[in-house]
Amino acid sequence: MDNVCEDQIFSSLFKEHSKTVFNYIFYKFGNEEKAHDAVQEAFVKLWENCAKVSPEKAKSFVYTVANNLYLNVIKAEKVRLKYADKSNDRSNESPEFLMEEKEYKEKLDKALNALPENQRTTFLLNRIDGKKYAEIAEMENVSVKAIEKRMHLALKTLREQIDGI
Amino acid sequence: MQEYYLAKWLNGELSEAELAEFKNSDEYASYAKLIEVSGQLETPKFDVDKALQRLKDERIEGAPKVIALNPFKKFLRIAAVIAVLLVGSYFYVSTLDETVSTQLAERTEVVLPDNSEIFLNAESQISYSKKKWDQKRDVSLQGEAFFKVAKGKKFTVSTSQGTVAVLGTQFNVENRDNFFEVTCYEGLVSVTFNGQETKLPAGSAFVVINGQIVDTSQPKGSNPTWMNNESSFERIPLKYVIAELQRQFNVKVSTKNVNTDLIFTGSFNNTDLEMALKSISTPSQIQYKVEGDNVLFYAGNTPQ
Repeated sequence: MDNVCEDQIFSSLFKEHSKTVFNYIFYKFGNEEKAHDAVQEAFVKLWENCAKVSPEKAKSFVYTVANNLYLNVIKAEKVRLKYADKSNDRSNESPEFLMEEKEYKEKLDKALNALPENQRTTFLLNRIDGKKYAEIAEMENVSVKAIEKRMHLALKTLREQIDGI
Repeated sequence: MQEYYLAKWLNGELSEAELAEFKNSDEYASYAKLIEVSGQLETPKFDVDKALQRLKDERIEGAPKVIALNPFKKFLRIAAVIAVLLVGSYFYVSTLDETVSTQLAERTEVVLPDNSEIFLNAESQISYSKKKWDQKRDVSLQGEAFFKVAKGKKFTVSTSQGTVAVLGTQFNVENRDNFFEVTCYEGLVSVTFNGQETKLPAGSAFVVINGQIVDTSQPKGSNPTWMNNESSFERIPLKYVIAELQRQFNVKVSTKNVNTDLIFTGSFNNTDLEMALKSISTPSQIQYKVEGDNVLFYAGNTPQ
């Protein structure tokens, strides 16, 4: 049977999930350093408990450890996200369009940071990491229905903020 | 529109009609734009390989060795606990007294460290300290036993009713409910009862029934009769005879209209119940009846 204690299994689990753990903590607290630390802590814990945690359970194990790490400990900071470069056709855009887009992104940034933490995390895990609602539900330890609600509210609030309603 | 339709829309779960309705709404363009732009969002750079390397270098370097050692450490811990328990229990057990006991209708022989011998009659128990035997030859007794004591230091038999002390001899001690008997077959035995010492020369007996010293005749032979599968009684109340019968045959005896304080002199065989019952009932002029393990003694006519 596969064992998390085996270096190969452990390394592949790390490669598969570390980035999401990093993003997950970053969405919650907006602190890059804490997100890096969370990855280290979560996977050290996984290594220490490798005999007890099956590879199937490893994923939810690391999210739980990462999540519990900063429970009530740190205050959320501003979540600063970058936008992917679309430099290939950028030169063809009109200055007005570029200006508009810049404004829009600023509004989105502000709106994202104004969201409740759980709505922001759910929204970004879906939009950036492409996580399915069921996966997010497992990470957050809530029902899929609850994630759908968060997603719906996040979209609704973001639009209202951006459109200035 | 269904509940949380925005989430459903994003997940492609809207029905065609719902989707058409949503696309017709004023805010659809805003949502579409929101989804488009948010799809371009990026998180800070995270180098998976570097993070993994850091994890291995700083935090779990050499950890596999620890994992490998763990079962052995656990084994050592368990081994240490077992060793402590073994040593501890050895010292504890070695200070405990040796105990030998017999059940109903059972007999056994015990050889003591100095080759003294003890023959235990039915439902009896002796205990002594093997470790301190060289310093003190002391045996405590419940029930009845015949002792063949090797010559040496003082040998004592402690009972709840009295103490028997000898140097080297053969004697029988019976210590039962309200019945205490010491019979000396060889040498000299000293019996202490109620703080009073009595010297018992060979061929004499000392009997206490209900706290009263009773006169008894001289024993015959060089062994107690039970050693030859016979229980003998010299002017002993019938109830003690019946008690012995129960011990020898592991039977339950009840009586009806029989005075069990009557004095009985005689003996019964310890191997044949029918013969033993006759030996008791005939001189006592009573009847008996056997049903399985139950024996009833009764006077006069057949019982109901």
